[in-house]
Amino acid sequence: MREKATTLYLGPQHPGITGNMMIRLKVKGDTIVQATTEVGYLHRAFEKLAERRNWLQSFTLMCRFCVPEPDPVEESYARAVETLEGREVPERAKYIRVLVLELARIASYMLWYGGQAGSLGLYTIGQWSVGDRNYILDLFEELTGGRVYHMYIWPGGVRRDLPMGFEEKVLKTMDYLEKRLDDYEDLMFDNAIFRKRTIGVGIIDPEKAIEWGVVGPPLRGCGIQHDVRIDEPYEVYDQLDFEVPTEEGCDIWARANVRRREIRQSIRIIRQVIDKMPKGEFYNKIPNPHKWRLPKGDAYVRTEAVRGEVGMYIASDGSEHPRRVHFRGAAYVHAVTLLEDLLVGENVADVSAIMNSLGTCPPEIER
Amino acid sequence: MEERKKEIIQTITDHFKDAVSNPYDGNRVDFTIPKQQIPAILFYLKDEMGFNHLSHISCIDWLEDKQFELVYILWSYTDRVKVFVHTRVDREQPVMDNIDMIWRQANTYEREIREMYGIRFAGLEAPEEFLLEDWQGPPPMRRDFDTYAYAMKTFWDRQEARSNAQDVRETIRRRTGEELPDFAKKYSR
Repeated sequence: MREKATTLYLGPQHPGITGNMMIRLKVKGDTIVQATTEVGYLHRAFEKLAERRNWLQSFTLMCRFCVPEPDPVEESYARAVETLEGREVPERAKYIRVLVLELARIASYMLWYGGQAGSLGLYTIGQWSVGDRNYILDLFEELTGGRVYHMYIWPGGVRRDLPMGFEEKVLKTMDYLEKRLDDYEDLMFDNAIFRKRTIGVGIIDPEKAIEWGVVGPPLRGCGIQHDVRIDEPYEVYDQLDFEVPTEEGCDIWARANVRRREIRQSIRIIRQVIDKMPKGEFYNKIPNPHKWRLPKGDAYVRTEAVRGEVGMYIASDGSEHPRRVHFRGAAYVHAVTLLEDLLVGENVADVSAIMNSLGTCPPEIER
Repeated sequence: MEERKKEIIQTITDHFKDAVSNPYDGNRVDFTIPKQQIPAILFYLKDEMGFNHLSHISCIDWLEDKQFELVYILWSYTDRVKVFVHTRVDREQPVMDNIDMIWRQANTYEREIREMYGIRFAGLEAPEEFLLEDWQGPPPMRRDFDTYAYAMKTFWDRQEARSNAQDVRETIRRRTGEELPDFAKKYSR
């Protein structure tokens, strides 16, 4: 019997979708035969706005590129500007940056726990992890004044020094979270439904993964050990001792396991950072921002975010304004060409689980 | 790494006589090359030199030179070196070669550059609209596009805003060629 293909619009308003985007699916029965990513609900023209602002004013836009994890973008912009200008950053600022980046990584993984489990109908774990994420946001609020958008890592260093007793609070939160992680893992990874719905679903071909531009946890879920923190160490990652976990399997289960193990590595990094943090300056002061000119040229830096490699390309014509600021998000590849390919042959019910496992972030695609 | 960088520069300048190497510190290798040779040099870098990760494609509008600059950034996982390949495209007739047969994710970058800068990529098969919907004006990321004037005209001085608003159902119909169901037509303007 020939079945007629039906068109199904998933999103932009759908509880399983990871943001304001739409996937147009052609389905036969429950099976997807064609998927097309449709974006355009979220374009805010940040890169155009940045061209009319000076280098420091543009920095306030950068954290808004990706909502769940704003800090890596801030950091990459700051580092790109420093690379282009040749500005030195004090050692203490580098350690504080790593501390903030790793806290942001854990906070973002907490949100991912909620999304990944929620997309398969396990709602309890999301309530726990998003609740516990608030403890990290409390730390951010104390450090930067903002809970989600921090605008803290700026060109030249960081905006202010750690408050008194902050290190103890971080360590206490890490001890608490480490205990809680066991609970999450019991609830999610020992769950028969989660196993059944994720093993063998959304398989990326490991031989094609690098060529297709897969980065971050999806790449490491294919058993390929690449991480920007190791490949091209930035800040002080080369002085820290941590592992980059990999899993075989290439499916949602493997990617979830990579993330589960990465949270523990982030906690390990944070403990080392607090242990090794030197005293001293935290900010190499920039000149008057309205007269601050960067030399003519361009720079591109890469950062490891939760979703994978993100990059920031900046070009200067020697004036006070950026000539071009261009952000490369991991989702730019994951959510368009890769997702369209992965979804073919999968069940409609697994779409949001696959999207969550790839770390799809629509604001990164549109900016 | 310095030796490997020298080796890469030597091999590329031997194979591509028009490629000019620009000196940079660190793990960056940088070339400028005429636009006709872009697919060839990228093929060569990927297949022969191991630069198999396409990290970024960016575009800059040099209005004063009447040119667009395209930048291709590749990364080699084995050498841990990144290569920048710059090229310039004439602003009056912005035509460029498509490279999505080398890396298929280049398709997404090229779609965005086509929409935002108006550069035509020969042989690029993808829907015209990507980020913008029903956009009639000039490509908005060009430097001569006046954001302020556009915003004033569109959002400030707009008369009869409601009646001029677009109908999303019409857009869906036009994009996909699907006929609207009857119940939707009833509410359609």
